[in-house]
Amino acid sequence: MAQRPPQPPRVKGPLVWLDMDQQDLDDAYDQLVYAPNRDHILKRCARNSELARERLGTPKRFAYGTTAIEALDVFTTKVPNAPVSVFVHGGAWRAGLAMNYAYAAEMFVNAGAHHVVLDFNNALETGGDLMVMADQVRRAVAWVYRNAKSFGGDGERLYVCGHSSGGHLTGVLLTTDWQKDFGLPPTVIKGGVCGSGMYDLKPVRLSKRSSYVKFTDEMEEKLSPQRHLDRLVAPVALVYGTLETPEFQRQSRDFAAAVKAAGKPVTLAVMESYNHFEVMEQLGNPYSLFGRAALEQMGLAPR
Amino acid sequence: MTMQHDDSTTRRAVLAAAAGGAAVAASAPARAQQPRAKGPLVWLDMDQQALDDAYDQIVYAPNREQVTKRRIANSERARAVIGAPERVAYGATEIEKLDIYRTRQANAPVNIFVHGGAWRANRAADYACLAEPFVRAGAHFVILDFTNVDDAGGSLFPMVEQVRRAVGWVYKNARSFGGDGERLYLSSHSSGSHIGGCVVTHDWAKEGLPVDILKGAMLGSGMYDLKPVRLSKRSKYVKFTDEMEAALSAQRHIDKLNTPLILAHGTYETPEFQRQTRDFYAAVKAAGKPVELIVGEGYNHFEMLETLANPYGLLGRAVLAQMRLSTAA
Repeated sequence: MAQRPPQPPRVKGPLVWLDMDQQDLDDAYDQLVYAPNRDHILKRCARNSELARERLGTPKRFAYGTTAIEALDVFTTKVPNAPVSVFVHGGAWRAGLAMNYAYAAEMFVNAGAHHVVLDFNNALETGGDLMVMADQVRRAVAWVYRNAKSFGGDGERLYVCGHSSGGHLTGVLLTTDWQKDFGLPPTVIKGGVCGSGMYDLKPVRLSKRSSYVKFTDEMEEKLSPQRHLDRLVAPVALVYGTLETPEFQRQSRDFAAAVKAAGKPVTLAVMESYNHFEVMEQLGNPYSLFGRAALEQMGLAPR
Repeated sequence: MTMQHDDSTTRRAVLAAAAGGAAVAASAPARAQQPRAKGPLVWLDMDQQALDDAYDQIVYAPNREQVTKRRIANSERARAVIGAPERVAYGATEIEKLDIYRTRQANAPVNIFVHGGAWRANRAADYACLAEPFVRAGAHFVILDFTNVDDAGGSLFPMVEQVRRAVGWVYKNARSFGGDGERLYLSSHSSGSHIGGCVVTHDWAKEGLPVDILKGAMLGSGMYDLKPVRLSKRSKYVKFTDEMEAALSAQRHIDKLNTPLILAHGTYETPEFQRQTRDFYAAVKAAGKPVELIVGEGYNHFEMLETLANPYGLLGRAVLAQMRLSTAA
């Protein structure tokens, strides 16, 4: 059961998605309804990111594109020619900055990996277009692949990880046609961890999120990773919490089932009694299901 | 199920505050109160209701049940990963046992954990999630079972006596499980930190044991003077006496303290649980003894303990450093 506060009784309207009416579906794409402590946890993660920078030092910041936001933070490990983890933050596609998602850096760096945190535009800045954001994170990954050596990284051991709408974008990265779009090998990404994400945009489009995401048929089709499993070549680890909204639980379950049905490697970790943001926070813990999944995929031991 | 009802009031209040864009204040997100006339003050600026609330975690930590559930689930998972502990008796009664999660390192330091639960609840098995970071970092992690105040007829003495005896047992028997008795540390939470405070201010010499039997302790979210607790509704189930209050208020026995301390509280804890730690910290410091204060910004009572299960969390990092164990590459 999600930890949703009890609602006053109301007459259910016509169903718009599965067993949900418009209100139910809107609520299922509104984290605050199911995670009332959202702002506390976002504050904690921002603070813990600050503490991480105090200990690790200011990250190296590189531009992967021409606009100011198209830049990425690199926390470097001392291990030479080390694998690289690239993190894509969430925020319902409309919020979040790399600097507030540095809290997991220490775990990766100490385990022997570089940790890259991406900045990119949000949907409010792109006029509601997710294609711009997808293009940015793809270009960022291509940049890391090509330039890993410049910060001591091994481009051939590049892994991606994301949470929430960043979990969606991580799904997009994993189903990108790297050869056609970037002239890169299809195996650019060696593994991906998607936390609490969305993998088919149809119900999202039907929800109130369409008030700020200007969905089109093309966007829905191109950016629903679950519809492009033919392009998936890297192992996928999915993570979600049992206190998340019904839709955020279902999205991960369905994506896991679809990848499995396609005969491709996938794991699904369910975090008992964690809500959406509490799952996110646990990426910084090598002994949590989220942190452990990320390290295990990279062949690194928690430490 | 009555808890459910109580909880939802609080969650709605927090939700309303967050949705209204209200600044998340440094103060604890206390349950929204009906406006009421304040009664006579019974402790500092608190009337009876305010004091009772300040010793009732659920008022300030509405997600208690969720955090407890995941601690238990994570502990089950931890045991599947690191294996079942060695369970050993340190006394004659059934409850006087401890769980040892062993590290592979030989002659390794030992951390002894004392759980909380308002002196009334919880058991060692459900704290296994704390062990893995220590075991991997090269320390044995020992989790104590001990009686509770209800089974002890309202007295806190048996719990304190048992925990002291357990620490003595570990000191004398560390070698039997590959531990170094000269590198014993203690960590604790909530009422377990009250007990921990009584352990580090115990007159160990009287028992023929070294006064610095514990080389360091992290007391998280505890109580160190029982007077206000005695004035609160907790006296309904703790049968406080003058002797108990005096003997088991660690802050009144700092002369016996020979263990460097880390004290910690979260900014979303109750006003009293924040003050107890602040005051104990000030008193230990004033006595010229080594003490460090950790304030967890944005953490409530139960969330603070979760940071001990993470080598990069506030408490996990602090305790590993205290034990001179490093996670750094």
